[in-house]
Amino acid sequence: MPREIVTVQLGQCGNQMGSVYWQRLCAEHGINNEGILEDWATEGGDRKDVFFYQADDEHYIPRAILVDLEPRVINNILTSPFANLYNPENIFVSQDGGGAGNNWAQGYAAGERLYEEVMEMVDREAEGSDSLEGFMLMHSIAGGTGSGLGSFLLERLNDKFPKKLIQTYSVFPNAQEGDVVVQPYNALLTLKRLTNHADSVVVLDNGALARIATDRLHVQTPSFDQTNQLVSTVMAASTQTLRYPGYMNNDLVGIIASLIPTPRCHFLMTSYTPFTSDQIDKAKPIRRTTVLDVMRRLLQPKNRMVSTTPSKTACYISILNIIQGDVDPTDVHTSLLRIRERQLANFIPWGPAAIQVALTRKSPYIATNHRVSGLMLANHTSIASLFKRMIDQFDRLRRRNAFMEQYKKEKIFENSLVEFDDARCAVPPRDSVGAHFFVGQLLRNSSRNTRLVRAPITYHM
Amino acid sequence: MMDSLDSLVLSIVPQARTDSELRRELVATCRDILASHIGKSRELDTGQLSDNIKKHLNQLSPSGTSALRFTNLLSRLLDQPAVSRKNASLQFLHALASSSSRSITNGPNYLPALVPPPTLAVLPSPAKSPSEALAIVGSRKGRSIADKLKEFRAVQGIPVLPEHLLLRDTLYLLQGISGKYVQFSRESEDKNSVIFVGDPRYRILEPTKALIHKLAEVGHLYIRVDAFVREREGKSGVGMIEQSLCHHLQTQLTEYYRLIAILESQMGVTDKTEDALKPPASAPTNDLIEKDTGLTLKRLDVWIDDWRLRMRMMSVCVEGAKEAYGGALVSTIHGYTDNGDPFVRKFTDQLLEEVSKPFFTILQKWIFSGELYDPCDEFFVAMDPELAHYQYIHPKAISGQNSTDFGLPNILGDLDEGSSESDTRSRLWEAKYRFRKEMLPSFLGEAFGRKIFSTGKSLNFIKYSCGDSDWVITRQRLTTTKGDLKYSDILGLEKSIDAAYEIASQRLFDVFFDKFKLLDHLLALKHYFLLGYGDFADILMDALAPNLSRPANTIYRHNLTATLETAIRSSNAQRDSSDVLRRLDVRMMEYSHGEIGWDVFTLEYKVDSPVNTVLDADSMMNYLKLFNHLWKIKRIESALSAAWMRTAGGSRTFLRLADLNFQWHKIRLVMAEMIHFIRQTQAYCQVEVIGCSWEALHQFIQQKKGDLDSLIDAHRSYLDRIVKKVLLLTHKMGREESLLNQMRELFTIILQFRESTDNFYNHCLSESARRDAERDADRGVVTAGDTDPRVQENMDQTLRMIQEYSTAFSEKTQTLVHGLQSHHDLDCRFLGTMLSFSDFYKTKKDIVKAQ
Repeated sequence: MPREIVTVQLGQCGNQMGSVYWQRLCAEHGINNEGILEDWATEGGDRKDVFFYQADDEHYIPRAILVDLEPRVINNILTSPFANLYNPENIFVSQDGGGAGNNWAQGYAAGERLYEEVMEMVDREAEGSDSLEGFMLMHSIAGGTGSGLGSFLLERLNDKFPKKLIQTYSVFPNAQEGDVVVQPYNALLTLKRLTNHADSVVVLDNGALARIATDRLHVQTPSFDQTNQLVSTVMAASTQTLRYPGYMNNDLVGIIASLIPTPRCHFLMTSYTPFTSDQIDKAKPIRRTTVLDVMRRLLQPKNRMVSTTPSKTACYISILNIIQGDVDPTDVHTSLLRIRERQLANFIPWGPAAIQVALTRKSPYIATNHRVSGLMLANHTSIASLFKRMIDQFDRLRRRNAFMEQYKKEKIFENSLVEFDDARCAVPPRDSVGAHFFVGQLLRNSSRNTRLVRAPITYHM
Repeated sequence: MMDSLDSLVLSIVPQARTDSELRRELVATCRDILASHIGKSRELDTGQLSDNIKKHLNQLSPSGTSALRFTNLLSRLLDQPAVSRKNASLQFLHALASSSSRSITNGPNYLPALVPPPTLAVLPSPAKSPSEALAIVGSRKGRSIADKLKEFRAVQGIPVLPEHLLLRDTLYLLQGISGKYVQFSRESEDKNSVIFVGDPRYRILEPTKALIHKLAEVGHLYIRVDAFVREREGKSGVGMIEQSLCHHLQTQLTEYYRLIAILESQMGVTDKTEDALKPPASAPTNDLIEKDTGLTLKRLDVWIDDWRLRMRMMSVCVEGAKEAYGGALVSTIHGYTDNGDPFVRKFTDQLLEEVSKPFFTILQKWIFSGELYDPCDEFFVAMDPELAHYQYIHPKAISGQNSTDFGLPNILGDLDEGSSESDTRSRLWEAKYRFRKEMLPSFLGEAFGRKIFSTGKSLNFIKYSCGDSDWVITRQRLTTTKGDLKYSDILGLEKSIDAAYEIASQRLFDVFFDKFKLLDHLLALKHYFLLGYGDFADILMDALAPNLSRPANTIYRHNLTATLETAIRSSNAQRDSSDVLRRLDVRMMEYSHGEIGWDVFTLEYKVDSPVNTVLDADSMMNYLKLFNHLWKIKRIESALSAAWMRTAGGSRTFLRLADLNFQWHKIRLVMAEMIHFIRQTQAYCQVEVIGCSWEALHQFIQQKKGDLDSLIDAHRSYLDRIVKKVLLLTHKMGREESLLNQMRELFTIILQFRESTDNFYNHCLSESARRDAERDADRGVVTAGDTDPRVQENMDQTLRMIQEYSTAFSEKTQTLVHGLQSHHDLDCRFLGTMLSFSDFYKTKKDIVKAQ
């Protein structure tokens, strides 16, 4: 009775991420590119059935659904050595093959057309699971398919599976330079769905990814493949505890519940250290990897995969460090105390918070030259600055009503553009700290003269 | 007395014969001397005395020649063994010299005559009758004092008892027999003395008496030793060590008899010559010759001198043997080897060599084959007779490994049966053999003794409790060729014992870990009881949850067993060996009325001999206790996860009642607080306590050092540590569990809170349904009936409860955090720190203090 997770990869970016992610999972579990367990992969202790199922012929098949509106990326996958890994019935390429033209509305509209076919795949996967825990969505929110079709699917999945978790790995556009001119529209329209229909969103900021790739790998312009390696490393690490069960963190709900106190504050940022050459080509080797070093580096803003504007009031709502490798548990103890002593992390004042540490095993089949590696999943209020930037960019275009023609072509914007403004309002961050955002007046402790604690219902700056 | 003093004075100082004044003065002086306590109260030692004398002599003759001469004489005197009271004699002479010097001007002329040869001068006990002796001396110059004395005695009339008679008696005495003239005292309270039976015709000189006394000591000791040996010979139940002691004594005594025989034969020669010359006193010259060849008391003394010491030693051993037994006896004897006298050392070494032979035979058997062969109960290891027959291993413990039919009830039943017997078995290691410190020979030392004890115990355990006697026998064959252990080779002994200990402990470790898979069992306990298999625990809990919420008496064990198997099959636990899995079981504890399944459910793990030596009943109790607590935490965690899923998931679907959003927000914040609490507690249990403790235990196991005892200790401390820290036990008397109880209270509050939020959730569902119906009604569609007026009331009630639980939770958590922060245990304090990592639970007082 594994708690299965069905992965849905959407669009060019989502499928590229997915393909690297599955390669990595196969390597970690000792599954070859045909889906057959390698002979040497005899060491137990892992759970393959969270992300894979076994076909009648012992093949391990990813619980993955691949959807794109243009055939290029999926064709690449189908000509790669991993072509036979996926269930061909779970691959959907739009017949017309034209893509969504980087238009959210087009992607969204395509969703309505393809609903039956895609939902059939989802249903089949859901029914094939004993106890489905939830869905994992991989997409980018800048283009057309990932954002538009993604938004549509989020709404529908939410309707259809209200009791299942929906987690997304969303690539946010690079704030400085966008390849797509309408990306502020696309991003904000998707952000509304991410806010309203997802349980947890792991924000992967393209800008930060590029920065980290440049810093760590010494490449001026990192390739897609290199950034995708970064992303797959993070994704694999964040699901490590599900795949290598231990005393706790064996289910996604537990992890998310501890990170997200109130439902709309569910945008998580990640840090990972150390990136080394065996994960990403030509990474700078980092010599010392003690637990303290890893935990300290995880807290450094430059290692975060989200570019945020630093602010004095920004603080952590919650932190979960997933530490893998050969760790002496006593080191964790001292590291935590050290971090607390030096006040390396600020926490919210309105509730108890601490750095949670999950120790987990490393895959025995992957040799690494560092002893310890760590992933931080954090809920940090500074993510609001990212949203603010997106809103600013959106406003700049919206004021001029620029590039609206393409959107008006689709059904959703046929009659009015109210959806744009609606989306802007739904987005969590606010640029002013209005009183109405502090809803909570919580009677915390009567013995302490009724201390009022004001907790925001959403992120604020 | 006065007369003799007078004559003495007259003879020494001729002037006094005419001068009555001078005579009176001298006599008075002499009387003073006699009356004084010189030699009694002021016992000067020889060195001091000789210094005094030298000073005196230097005063008389400043040239120093006389002092030099005195020194020579003195050293000669000191070399003489014959005179026993050298000091006293010197003192007497000195006193005499100094008293005369005052008034007599030509006194020194006489004194030299008195001094040489000092040995002879002191022979006749001078204090007795100095006047007569000196009278003779004074009258006959040029002859030795002894001769003079003899003559003087002859004049006196009563002859001295001939020495050969005394000699014979003395020889008798040496053999413990009373003689004609000298007898052992028969009176019980005065056993140590001899009495001289008077013969009116003769008298025995005092020095002779003293000599005989000295010799008689040997005889006396002989009696004791001989009596001891004889007594032991006849007695049954004498220990082997004692027997060998007797044997050694006997050999020594035989040696002694031989000596006596030789002496006797020599005396026979003397007798013949003596018989021919009667009366003895009349032929002093012959006497002298005869003394060169025959035996005299003094020669006898020289002969016997060596034996005196030996006899003393033997007698001491005999004394020791009366009080000590077995190993303790060896210890006692060993105590005498620390002696500076090489003779004593050699003697005791020899003795020990002999005496410890049986001890080493037992030792050898013990450390090489693990058998205690100690019929006389002399070894420092003793066996509990009650457990002696538990030597044969439970056949199932070995065959059980091969059984592949996993989880079948009949196997489980088999494990159940005879649990009392297996209890005894689990105690075998600890209770079968006992270490008796008092019986440990002191030359081994306690640490070493423990090693020996453990070695034999290990071998015995391997042989009988682990069913591996082949190995022990092979080992035994290998080692017996190396030669015997003996006392004289302590170094070799230590080496071979160290080696044996190493090998036996190593083997026992190997047997435990390879054959009986102890590590697997420990891991299994960690995985199942300490919830290391998180996925297994999750699945088991999910499957059991509906069952366990029911009253305890409605739950059936077979349902639980079926669920257990499902949980095993669908989790990673299925990869565990069947031997581990067949031991795993579920059980309901004793329940009382009103308890529900959660209260009484427990896992169970069955261990049998010999693994239960390590995993004994106490340990299993602790594991159960831990499981109970961790299971509870897990239950709270899953309850909170489900609640979170409801409130969070609900937020994006139907909870669109704007007026209740604030209530939900509050609930979520409290829930976040609870999740924080439970997850920090879990992380603490897992990483801080179980992880760290396991690390230590695992390291110990990897090292494979020490014996089974240290393994048991290591496991025990591992478990104790976990129990103490997981259950947050404090060392306050009577309040050990106060923090634990606080934590349990918190658990209860969380569950109650959860229940109330469920009610609220349901209320919201019906409320939104009602509003939908209202909206429908507005549009003219009637979908539902009338609303219940009690709904609002119920909701208020629910909200009040939620508020109450929230407040209670916050308050109690704060109390707990404060309790933890002042906990004596650093790790428990760490939990307090983690719970209040961002200082959320700091009280106002703390904040003020910090400022």
